[in-house]
Amino acid sequence: MAKNRWKSVATIFVLMVATVLLLSGAGAAKTLYVGGTQSLTGPFAEDSAAVLAAIEDYVAYVNDTKKLAPWRQETFPADIKLEVMWRDDELKPPKALSIYEELKSKGMLVARISGSPIALALKDRLWEDQMGATSMATGPYYLSPPQSCFTYYPIYTDSIAAIADWFKENWKKARKPRVAYLTADNAMGRSIEIPEMKAYLQKIGYEFVGIQYVPLVPTSPPTTQLTWLKQKGVDLALGVMINPGSQPTVKEMVRLGMGPNQPYKMTFGVPAPGHAAVFAEAMGTLGNGYVCAGSFRPMDDLATPGIKFCSDLQDKYRKGKRITHIMYEAGVLEAMIQVEALRLAMQKVPFEKLTPRDVLLHGFYQIKNLPTGDISSTPLTYGKGDIEGVDQVRIDQVQNGKSVKVGIYPLRHIYTKK
Amino acid sequence: MAVGGYTSAILCAKLGWPFWAALPCGALAAGLAGLIFGLPSLKIKGFYLIMATIAAQFIIIWFIIQLRSVTGGTDGLLVPKPTIGGLSLSSKMNYYYLVLVFAVLATITAHNIVRTRSGRAFIAIRDNDLAAEVMGVSLWRYKLQAFFIGCIYAGAAGSLLIHYVRFASIEQFPFWDSVWYLGMLIVGGMGSTAGAIFGVIALKLLDELVTVAGPILAAAVAPQAAASLALISHGLIIIVFLIFEPRGLYHRWETIRAYFRLWPFSHEAAE
Repeated sequence: MAKNRWKSVATIFVLMVATVLLLSGAGAAKTLYVGGTQSLTGPFAEDSAAVLAAIEDYVAYVNDTKKLAPWRQETFPADIKLEVMWRDDELKPPKALSIYEELKSKGMLVARISGSPIALALKDRLWEDQMGATSMATGPYYLSPPQSCFTYYPIYTDSIAAIADWFKENWKKARKPRVAYLTADNAMGRSIEIPEMKAYLQKIGYEFVGIQYVPLVPTSPPTTQLTWLKQKGVDLALGVMINPGSQPTVKEMVRLGMGPNQPYKMTFGVPAPGHAAVFAEAMGTLGNGYVCAGSFRPMDDLATPGIKFCSDLQDKYRKGKRITHIMYEAGVLEAMIQVEALRLAMQKVPFEKLTPRDVLLHGFYQIKNLPTGDISSTPLTYGKGDIEGVDQVRIDQVQNGKSVKVGIYPLRHIYTKK
Repeated sequence: MAVGGYTSAILCAKLGWPFWAALPCGALAAGLAGLIFGLPSLKIKGFYLIMATIAAQFIIIWFIIQLRSVTGGTDGLLVPKPTIGGLSLSSKMNYYYLVLVFAVLATITAHNIVRTRSGRAFIAIRDNDLAAEVMGVSLWRYKLQAFFIGCIYAGAAGSLLIHYVRFASIEQFPFWDSVWYLGMLIVGGMGSTAGAIFGVIALKLLDELVTVAGPILAAAVAPQAAASLALISHGLIIIVFLIFEPRGLYHRWETIRAYFRLWPFSHEAAE
């Protein structure tokens, strides 16, 4: 009997100690969340999967080393643990809204945008909540106030302007070059259809011919659209497309004898979603002449510190399952920006009192010249009214089946002023 | 849905109308648009009618993009928070109850329409339009009426969607959604109110399953596998139902109900 009593007392004591330790442990673990909504189903799935993997790897790196990047001296607070929180929105705005509300209620202080449809649905709500967000989409819709979504490559219109600048610089004929839009038939593709864009093209000496649309992911070759461009004598076709759209388009161009190295001379240029490195890998020499603005460097360019960092992250955290998609770089950038915003905000406001507004004002808006190891075109700078991050646009062209840098041009800040 | 959604969005955002007034106007505008696009139904039917109504999808979206000063074009249109009598409906739960009330009202109305003179005419035309006409049913009148009522439902749904997202954009009305709405009817069972509800539940549950399975598949196989999972699974389920249960889940439900109604003597009773 007495033995049992002692056993009971000992068990209760052990349980009490365990409870106290558990509670104190829970209290000590200070966790901040990064990540946000992802489009892991649908046309952006491949991009989004690479982004998510990179965010997970970067967070693991910061948690393990408390460093922010090999080339940076600053460190992340030792007592704070980062955790990735995400949900799949299937690129459907109503679903993204629910996810955003859920993650916000779980204490997330930063958000992310996974594509143009989500951007259009979330950007004003984010502003109302004073929540800063990194964005995989980068349309001119971000430039009209309110502004709490931050991109890491140029706005599509600025990328288009840079391609136009580059093409015009290399134009040798006496007549005006003829330009047309050949763009994706969705909000992303149509976002370049603003009067300011057309006015800029005409101002720098182009003759604007018209617009043709291609489905975001074409189910049949865009023969009619390309024939129209040929009939109109277009020299430069500009559009916003993702690789599943630009690849079949260029294949059909080649079949119709159109391209910089084809009988009918025409150059086709797109902004970053149609990454030249991804395009070159898939198309090889068939894609020669394809131009992309504001894109990232190829994943095998290990001489670039940022790309080397991406490779090292994968060596450490993704053994046997390496990701070769270029959007891995975008994921590292997004994680870097979110973590930097949280770090800067914590310098002004203690962890316990942090709100999304604090992270926006003392975090995102205070990011100045954030070195990205040359993953982005230039170091990133944000502020009120400055959400574009970069201030120059790099132009890449596919030459001999490889993505080659052919120039860098300043941002022209072309957007609808409201 | 786009007409209803955009009409109420414009009324609220540009003219400052309250949500409760803009919503029925959106539904009515969609009904009127339905009348216009329903006109070909008088001359064509079946596959050709489907093609004609698919054209409506592209024409409406084209108009929305062109009327940039009114609709915001591809930039879209910001819609203010919906409120009814001072009660803000910006929270998810509040909005859920509002939509639930609408769904119940719409179901009761649809259920009762079937019992009216018009409802009986709809059934007669659906079963055999030639016979119905011979019996004195005006095809012109009732076909247009069916389009009008159907589009009012779609318009109200579009309006509710826009006010939930609080942003009107052409991205919210993709062509594929129209296909899936038709798929919901195939899976649930055509010709009954309950069939539509069964179809919505089935495809939405499948949607949720895809959201869970997609990332797992992406990690295990390849991201490309997840990219097409929703399309493949939706298409597959529609094919399966068309082959094995063309009368939909509702018919299956009725069979099960009949079995249990007669249980345990179903065999004897059937005899």
